[in-house]
Amino acid sequence: MHAFVYERPGTLADAVALLSRHGPDARLLAGGTDLIIRLRDGSLRPRAVIDVKRVAELEPGIGQDGRTLTIGATAVMTDIAADPRIRDHFAALAEAASVIGSVQIRNRATLAGNICNASPAADTAPALLVYDATVVAAGPSGARRIPIDAFFVRSGHTTLDPREVVTAIELPLPTSRAASVHLRRTRRRGHDLASVTLSCLVDEHGVTRLAYGSVGPRPVLAVDESGVLADARASDAARSAVLEGMLAAASPSPRSMRASPEYRLAMLRVLGMRAVATALTRLAEG
Amino acid sequence: MRADGVGAAAPRGGGHDRVTGRQAYVADIHLPDELHAKLVTLDCARARIRSVDVGPALAVPGVRLAITAADLPQPVPRFGPQFEDRPVLAAGETKYHGEPVAAVAAETRDAAEAAARLVRVEYEELPAVFTIDGALDPAAPLVQDAALRPGDPLAGTNVLREHRVAWGDVDAAPADVVVEHVYTFPMVTQFAIEPHAFIAAPDEDGIVVWSTIQHPYWLQRVLARLLGLPLSRVRVVAPDPGGAFGGKQHAKYEPLVAFMALRAGRPVRLVLSLEETFQAVRRASARVRVRTGMHADGTFAFQDVAADYLIGAYADIADRVVSKGSYPACGPYRIPAARVVGRSILSHTPPSTAFRGFGNPQVNWAVESNIDEAARALGIDALELRLRNLARPGEAFIPFDTPADGRWEETVRAAARAIGWGDPVPPGRGRGLAIGIKSGPTTGLSYATVRLLADGSVVVHAGTSDMGQGARTIFAQIAAEELGAPLDWVTVVMGDTAVVPYDAQTSASRSSVLMGTAVLRACREIQGRLRAMAARIEGIDEASIVVERGTVRLPDRELPVLDVLRRGLGRLGGELIGNGEMRKEEEPGHPLGGSAAFWEFNCTAVEAEVDAETGDVTLVRHVTVSDVGRAINPLQVRAQDEGAAIMGLGHTLMEQYIFDDGGRIRNLGAIDYRIPTSMDLPLELHSEIVENADGPGPYGAKGMSEGALLCVAPAVAAAVRHASGAVIRDLPLSPERVWHALHSGERQP
Amino acid sequence: MNVNGMDEVNEEARGAQGAIPIRLAVNGRQRALAVLPHHTLLDVLRDDLGLTGAKECCLVGECGACTVLVDGRTVDACLVLAVEADGAEVLTVEGLAGHGRLSRLQEAFLEKGAAQCGFCIPGQLLSAQALLDANPHPTLPEVQEAMAGNLCRCAGYEQITEAILDVAAEGGR
Ligand code: FES
Ligand code: FES
Repeated sequence: MHAFVYERPGTLADAVALLSRHGPDARLLAGGTDLIIRLRDGSLRPRAVIDVKRVAELEPGIGQDGRTLTIGATAVMTDIAADPRIRDHFAALAEAASVIGSVQIRNRATLAGNICNASPAADTAPALLVYDATVVAAGPSGARRIPIDAFFVRSGHTTLDPREVVTAIELPLPTSRAASVHLRRTRRRGHDLASVTLSCLVDEHGVTRLAYGSVGPRPVLAVDESGVLADARASDAARSAVLEGMLAAASPSPRSMRASPEYRLAMLRVLGMRAVATALTRLAEG
Repeated sequence: MRADGVGAAAPRGGGHDRVTGRQAYVADIHLPDELHAKLVTLDCARARIRSVDVGPALAVPGVRLAITAADLPQPVPRFGPQFEDRPVLAAGETKYHGEPVAAVAAETRDAAEAAARLVRVEYEELPAVFTIDGALDPAAPLVQDAALRPGDPLAGTNVLREHRVAWGDVDAAPADVVVEHVYTFPMVTQFAIEPHAFIAAPDEDGIVVWSTIQHPYWLQRVLARLLGLPLSRVRVVAPDPGGAFGGKQHAKYEPLVAFMALRAGRPVRLVLSLEETFQAVRRASARVRVRTGMHADGTFAFQDVAADYLIGAYADIADRVVSKGSYPACGPYRIPAARVVGRSILSHTPPSTAFRGFGNPQVNWAVESNIDEAARALGIDALELRLRNLARPGEAFIPFDTPADGRWEETVRAAARAIGWGDPVPPGRGRGLAIGIKSGPTTGLSYATVRLLADGSVVVHAGTSDMGQGARTIFAQIAAEELGAPLDWVTVVMGDTAVVPYDAQTSASRSSVLMGTAVLRACREIQGRLRAMAARIEGIDEASIVVERGTVRLPDRELPVLDVLRRGLGRLGGELIGNGEMRKEEEPGHPLGGSAAFWEFNCTAVEAEVDAETGDVTLVRHVTVSDVGRAINPLQVRAQDEGAAIMGLGHTLMEQYIFDDGGRIRNLGAIDYRIPTSMDLPLELHSEIVENADGPGPYGAKGMSEGALLCVAPAVAAAVRHASGAVIRDLPLSPERVWHALHSGERQP
Repeated sequence: MNVNGMDEVNEEARGAQGAIPIRLAVNGRQRALAVLPHHTLLDVLRDDLGLTGAKECCLVGECGACTVLVDGRTVDACLVLAVEADGAEVLTVEGLAGHGRLSRLQEAFLEKGAAQCGFCIPGQLLSAQALLDANPHPTLPEVQEAMAGNLCRCAGYEQITEAILDVAAEGGR
């Protein structure tokens, strides 16, 4: 691994100042499960690595404030997957967090890091999309809230300014009865990068929110307000027509070695139908 | 039976150090004053090297040495177990992605890594071949310089050797049904969790080399020749490898590190990354055409097998893999006419080498799958067809080789019983069964020295490598049993050519049989001395004394060994030393140079479920039954069988190298080369052994450790086909491939 | 014509930092060290502290051979910078046996024949320890899930799982 300067700011202001000072030559370190691999293979060669884990304002934790659940930027997947509020209200996120890497990885990897890497295969991204999450960032000109759907651009790119730090991810608690699920495709049952990820949320009014990743440069959200997809009495043809429309934005890369575009697209449909069915079952079971 | 003697599930020799972290593998060893080496490689497979400038590397603080081919004796020394074709460093041309053109050594690993990146190499990428078809194209560039193959009629092609085994007249054999298909087997890698590591240190007028090597004595020979040193000045230390699976049999970068150490006058260590290890060792991929001729009654008319193996840029032991692996391709069946042609085909890819199964899994996959096709064509049950043709004990199923050395039907029936063959299959599931066979060692030489110390404790010296198969435990159990010592009073010393006597190799599941016999003979020699000792002390005739299993039996009473030993050694103490030797000589004229010391025989049966929408295969039950002759340690036998079975699931379901157009492995490293984890096991894994004490080893043991891997793929594929109708002739059976077969491919009942 | 090398900026010229002092409690013993920022916890344990029980294999967080416990949780030490661990409690395989007595898990691994070549075993033991600390009575799928980050190419998964379930069962008595 190449040599770099290690910074360990104690306050958010210091972290932002360091980012501004080093500019694009700096990299934030939270869980490090992606960053350290890339430092070692030389695909990233920052001058400075800024460790945000001891920033006072970024205490790891998951807090509830009224109707909002706030996941701190240094909260790790293990804690997210185990949090009872997340399991109750945001099952797709709990499930996504629980399938990322091995236990060792989940003990280190953060939700903020997962979305900031903007890997198209990031499991948590579709989950955050179906829940309409908000990314909270701090920068030189103060704090800013970014709707999750406006956060992802393409692989490795977000709308975050290079001088900004994600401080938290906010999830609005559901206002109506809803159920959700996260599904994925991998090459083996043990931990693996997904070739398709998909989260689905169905609410009591029949609205279905589907979000999927790993089949294009960024994760995609699609919403069915018509109620057809979630209507078990609707014909198969009608439902698959709706699903087709929702999945139309998928454009998997032909260059990937993990799965062919043909297979990914087919699996996206299979996962879509299965996810709706599971969500409906969960909704019915309360 | 003693709780720790032969046949007991005795605790593993070296086990304590393995669970406390004290076991010192090569990378854990540090020498004072050592330098850290790093290889310099190019970003392409085949290239003409125009120039190498190490100046910038030498300027990095802490760098002490940078070496290129020009710094080596000229012409650049070459080595290899079969052909001396591999240069110590690429000379003039690289032949595969990852082949080193230079190396640096520095005071720290950081400095070595930084310096390696600074070595400036000007090169020109050259046309290269990465596939069987590419290599066989008459216009293909030659991988191996024809000058290295004088007098070889194939020198103008990329076919290194063609191996033919035949009996009967295949072309004249009438058959009622002929089934012909082509099967492929992917390029996979050993992926021992311990990457290869080497340390070399100048030592007076010679050299000491630490290596993760399986064959320390073979390495000693290679180094002595390359360095122009007598064997006595080359010491190879081979600590227990952290898994090897064949990938650590032969020299890789030891010669380079030795030259560097001699040049630097200091110890030099090179610990490969996992990625570098992937570029250093792999299994040959293969394309196998099988034509099976059957009579209507379900007996064989003929087998006709053409197996092309894609080996790498240097032969390593790969051509032997091809000849020995393809040789028993037709399986343990009564076949009146057979023809097997195995070809080793060179390519600009990392050199393939030995890998558990040694060339057999490739042909086994094809032939066993084709036998299933034949059974289907005849309307005969796949188990029934196999049983009808299976060689009976003593039957020479390959006319010029060791006859069937086991009651194999027992093994097959046990597997069938355990999977519930013939019972109704639950909906959505299918069953498959296949048989694997592999020739044991064809030649061999092992020496052992056993020392019975004055207090009755024992030291065994044996040159075998214990890479996880548990040879230490086996030898200790044999010595404990024969000399009457408690198992924890037996120490087994291995892995140092300055300390242990010669052993040819640790491969082909040979060690329990060959070295085990040498150890047994050494113990028997000590027993002879004890007899003489007892005769002297008691003043009776030696012939009236029997020493057996730790007891000295006199005509009128029995004495413990220790009793005789104490009195016999007297006040000066001392020890009794026994030497044992086990040879398996070459047999001139035999196609493999020697007949099989034993056959490894396994039957695998699986029950699988297929998710037709996704192609996911769930192994509901996996049964593996091996004929082991006699399990000296059933605990270790089980672990080896189950480990081999799971490793077999790797190439069956998920493993393969994926290359880009330039011959680079795209899934280089652990992120995209997938092997089974604890979550990828069959829901039930059931292993059984058959013991008839009919092996040539101590107490009737045969070799094992590879058998349970041989026929996993055809058994799984048969179950998948039975469950879903998916016809798959290319491994691995990834979900995507199964899905393709179900949705666009051939789908048959 | 292609050229390898020379595309690197001289490390020194980049103003890289020298060693940074940190404190670690390793296997219960306080250690004060100076570490380079780009050295991982694995580097420091193996090279500076001579604790070679944690192994180096994939260096990408896939194999788990480098698994150690940091503040009671398993991590892949190859993916943790040593400086990050400043102030942490670290448990390595060398710390499992107390006063020369094997832990119950270590014993069970031996009894079941779980250690073959042994290279993955330190990591397996630490993952197993962390699992049982958090969940003393895991089910078989829970064990398999918890251990999936520790590859064993000898594939002693059945034996490892049996050892863990054995220890769990005893704990319940
Ligand atoms: S070496 Fe750290 S996970 Fe493989
Ligand atoms: S015991 Fe060999 S890798 Fe696990």
